[in-house]
Amino acid sequence: MALISKACNRVFVGAWTIGPQVIDTLGDDLVTDTGVFTLASSVGVLFFVGLALFFGNYFGVPASTSMTAVGSIAGLALAADALDWGVMGEIAIWWIVSPFIGFWVSLIIGRYFYATLNRRIAIERSEGALFAVDRSGIAPIPTLSETASIREAGGIVLVIAIGCLMAYSSGTSNIANAVAPLVGSGELEMGPAIIIGCFAVGIGTFTIARRTLDTMGSELTELPLTAAIITAMVSSVLVIFLSAIGIPASFVIIATMCIIGLGWGRATRPMTVGEAVRGEESAPVSVGALSTDEEGEELPPIGEEEEPEQIPKASDLFDPATTARVVLMQNVVPAIATIGAYVTFRFVPIFGL
Amino acid sequence: MVDDVLVPMDGSEMSEQALEYALEVFPDADITVLHVVGEPSPMWGAATGLALADDLEEAADERATEVFERAREIVDDAGTDVGLDTAVELGHPVRAIVTTAGEYDTVVIGSHGGTIADRIFVGNVAEKVFRRSPVPVVVVR
Repeated sequence: MALISKACNRVFVGAWTIGPQVIDTLGDDLVTDTGVFTLASSVGVLFFVGLALFFGNYFGVPASTSMTAVGSIAGLALAADALDWGVMGEIAIWWIVSPFIGFWVSLIIGRYFYATLNRRIAIERSEGALFAVDRSGIAPIPTLSETASIREAGGIVLVIAIGCLMAYSSGTSNIANAVAPLVGSGELEMGPAIIIGCFAVGIGTFTIARRTLDTMGSELTELPLTAAIITAMVSSVLVIFLSAIGIPASFVIIATMCIIGLGWGRATRPMTVGEAVRGEESAPVSVGALSTDEEGEELPPIGEEEEPEQIPKASDLFDPATTARVVLMQNVVPAIATIGAYVTFRFVPIFGL
Repeated sequence: MVDDVLVPMDGSEMSEQALEYALEVFPDADITVLHVVGEPSPMWGAATGLALADDLEEAADERATEVFERAREIVDDAGTDVGLDTAVELGHPVRAIVTTAGEYDTVVIGSHGGTIADRIFVGNVAEKVFRRSPVPVVVVR
């Protein structure tokens, strides 16, 4: 509980400091005429965001709130012929680029640094409580319990700190998505909108978040702690950066690509950096190696010769086609919101567009 | 004569029914239960978790233990004295099953496994195995 309220706090800080950039993009820049945000149409936009996300949660397909929000607003703007294609294009390009950045960063970490990081971070959870309260003095002082190591405590602090970072990054982006149409319509001022948004997120977190957390939570718990920490850090930093430049970023997709990158990098690691630097197992690109190969002789695919075929290979886990399918599936929910909003605003005449 | 039967199990109820059916219909055959770990999931957590393990094989075996224990219970309940072999494969269930199937006479598979999300991400495994398998497939429903 204390953790959740702490997280809510971070969400608020994030929403307050960087959130306004994203709100401006969504509630102002994305449409050529903010007149399209009537109270009715804003509610309609939020309805489609909620509906699409509900479907996503119901079927266990993780979906990005940001993409869904942008999609819904774009649907409205398109129907009212007020979409700023320049801004939309910029957002879309970042949507494509940012997951790749996350993928590559994680891939490099997974391939070359994971083993080292894992040794550094390795947290052995000991039996019993982590902290004990020393009541011998005047004031009770929390101290490490006898069974807990300093390293362990440090690890827990690190995990909490990263939780806060994630909450901060989600605040920068998600609150903004939720309130942008209302701010754009002029129904709410920026400040009160952020406060109401945070309040609503807080209520949601305490009540029905468990259902939503299930998908992401079960995925993340499949990961070793080190991997979860790396994923959380890389994706949070990317989301905060994108929010700071006013791009509504997709945490889910970036996190997914980070996880895939990390695992794929690790699965395909040919050798350690040390070996690579020393030039052991020289790759078949050097001139000498090429000249000794007989013509027509089949070269073993890179990285495969070290393992006999019978042993299960980690690279089997990363089938490109299936990976692409999984990533594409994450765009379905935003697509539903976009199409739903467009069709409704275009053909249902109650919104006065 | 069917001597070697492959029963892919994902731990679902349907896959348990497939094993029961195989035991009943091929009482004299050797049955191998195959469990595929690190399957595709919405955020790829299972696969990456495995890929990051220090010892891939050990981690894969560990994840399959529960399914195999359940399989042994089913075999014990059936009261036949056939030996039960187990096999663990990695990655996409369809590919893993189809690759392994060649070494067996028949595949006995449950018609469907998990949730809607699994179907979206992996597709209907039984249907694809049925279409691509090099050996006859019995789909239990």
